[in-house]
Amino acid sequence: MVRSGPRAWLERCVSRGLSKVTTYALGPYQTAIVRIGFGTAWLLFLLRELPHRHELYGPDGPWSFGLGKQLIETNRAFTVLLWSSSDSWFELVYVLAMASAAAMVLGWHTRVSSVVFMVGVLSLQNRSVFMGDGGDNVIHLMSMYLVLTRCAQVWSLDARRARRARERAAAEGLPVPANAVAATGGVVLWAVLGAVLLGGTFAGALSTGWALFFWALWAVHGLWWGLEKAAGSGGATVREARAVGDILANLAHNGVLLVIMVEVCLVYSTAGWYKIQGSRWQDGTAVYYPMNLDYFTPWPALSHLLAGSGLMIFLVTYGTVVTQVAFPFTLFNRRVKNVLLAAMIMEHIGIAVLLGLPFFSLAMIAADAVFLPTVFLMWTGRHVTALGGRVRRLLPGGRKDPAPAAPGGPPGGGPGVPEQTRPQVTWPATEPASDGPGPGRP
Amino acid sequence: MEPAARQVPGTDSSAGGTDGMRGIAALSLPARVFVAIAVAVVTVGVAFHVAMVFLQTAPDNTISKRHADVVDAYVYPEFERNWKLFAPNPLQQNVAVHARARIAKDDGTTETTGWVNLTAMDGKAIHGNPAPSHTQQNELRRAWEFYADYHDDNGLPVGLRGRLSEQYLKRIVMMRFGAELNGGSVERIQVRSAVTPVAPPAWSEEKADIKTQYAVQPWWQVTSADLPGGAE
Repeated sequence: MVRSGPRAWLERCVSRGLSKVTTYALGPYQTAIVRIGFGTAWLLFLLRELPHRHELYGPDGPWSFGLGKQLIETNRAFTVLLWSSSDSWFELVYVLAMASAAAMVLGWHTRVSSVVFMVGVLSLQNRSVFMGDGGDNVIHLMSMYLVLTRCAQVWSLDARRARRARERAAAEGLPVPANAVAATGGVVLWAVLGAVLLGGTFAGALSTGWALFFWALWAVHGLWWGLEKAAGSGGATVREARAVGDILANLAHNGVLLVIMVEVCLVYSTAGWYKIQGSRWQDGTAVYYPMNLDYFTPWPALSHLLAGSGLMIFLVTYGTVVTQVAFPFTLFNRRVKNVLLAAMIMEHIGIAVLLGLPFFSLAMIAADAVFLPTVFLMWTGRHVTALGGRVRRLLPGGRKDPAPAAPGGPPGGGPGVPEQTRPQVTWPATEPASDGPGPGRP
Repeated sequence: MEPAARQVPGTDSSAGGTDGMRGIAALSLPARVFVAIAVAVVTVGVAFHVAMVFLQTAPDNTISKRHADVVDAYVYPEFERNWKLFAPNPLQQNVAVHARARIAKDDGTTETTGWVNLTAMDGKAIHGNPAPSHTQQNELRRAWEFYADYHDDNGLPVGLRGRLSEQYLKRIVMMRFGAELNGGSVERIQVRSAVTPVAPPAWSEEKADIKTQYAVQPWWQVTSADLPGGAE
């Protein structure tokens, strides 16, 4: 602290940054809302398409098993749906995709669920690529990123289970236990997936790259569980190995979180840059045209109402370009960022209704949510929890205890978790100025 | 098994508590070297991934053209981003797909049906629908895009994708027509696109020709592989 000058300052920054990204999985609320958002979007989509599932992804849909096979042979995309042309295999994959999406929303054994979720998303979408749109594409990307993030630190059944285990241990005066409950449910899931993986590998159904990836994940999960068990009673070496494992997981989480944030910025900035080159975005009429496309006007009267006003069309057209181009740069100022974020979420709600793209919009909003401020997310979490508690008490046989059963998250007014978490979870993107010389001040 | 659940910051004593540096500093030398390597790997990995994704999404430029093979090999098929949110210009025309059939009747005569506007049927299903299905909004629309991208001006397929897109379109049409139509069996089908520019806004000075342009494709023989239930 005595030394000064740019070099010392740089050293301090690096060491502070390093300690942050190794010690914490940053943005616990943001990653949780992204997990819940994408889980919800995919689950609602699959439910909506239940009656059309055969036509979209089934072995006898217009994009038949044979057509899918020929295309996949050229692009090597991952899908388990081409492992078998049987109808029951397809139904099983579809059901598992829905179940894993629900598990993601609830944060139930999230490490395993996120892998199954990704497999479901990739399998269905890659099976029939020509059925998808931008919404599918963003779910596709995020399903892969979520596998490597610790996205169930809050608002999840996993977090609740861990909290209860800690409380129980504290009440009995025992040391913080390894995850006792996860040991049963988690181990069963792990063993089942290991068997599936073994089968897939021996049948030659997996490409080398994917086989390595899945086996590595599987081994890491097993190793982690072993370390957790051993760390409770083991010696210094085991405890250190566990601490290193924790650091690695945090590093992976923070790296991927950065990738997610960059990806969202790229979506908007490149869309904005392309638009600036478009004559219709320049002359202020661009938004008029989608309002007149047969495929994107579920409410023609509403669309024509908007399209009828040259001023409104101009404002929305220019506003869209300005927002998209500006968004990445506003990250350096949290107030402006929040205003633009609200504007973009509103625009996506508008797109959901006017263009008939609710799942696309939901996916985009879920992606935007990675930039929501922690304070706002915690406030929302508290209110949702309180609401949930009130509803539960009204139900017949409802308990008085407002402990969250669903992904209610931090208990309303309960001891500790949010308050304890809050000061440490300073997330650079939302609170750039909180840490001395931030990126905003050169 | 559940690292995420355990990682509520500040509750994990072994991770170093409030002082982050203690977490790393408390480790033995080999562990610290291991962590340093991991930091390097993650840093390089994130930088590489972001660079690749950026080069794929950005407009073609010096760097992306020079390294096109590396970018493509990395990004495809899973990390592709394939939509541009109505950029650089929004679509300014309605593209409809029409189809008609030649039908063999039981009495030995043949009949050619009128053009059926399949896109209009999609449009009807979308009207007043808060959550249109992909089968209504994307199936035919994207199948036609796929077909048009891989066919030349004479309606001849280009490469494998050309042939696949043709069979895909046939199967969509046959699924909607059914094998039996107007009291006979469908022997051949023909499709055409009907492209109608969106009329310029009433409040603008702009004038534009909004006549519909048709692109009629060759007649196609229908085989059992084109029917539902007839997949190979």
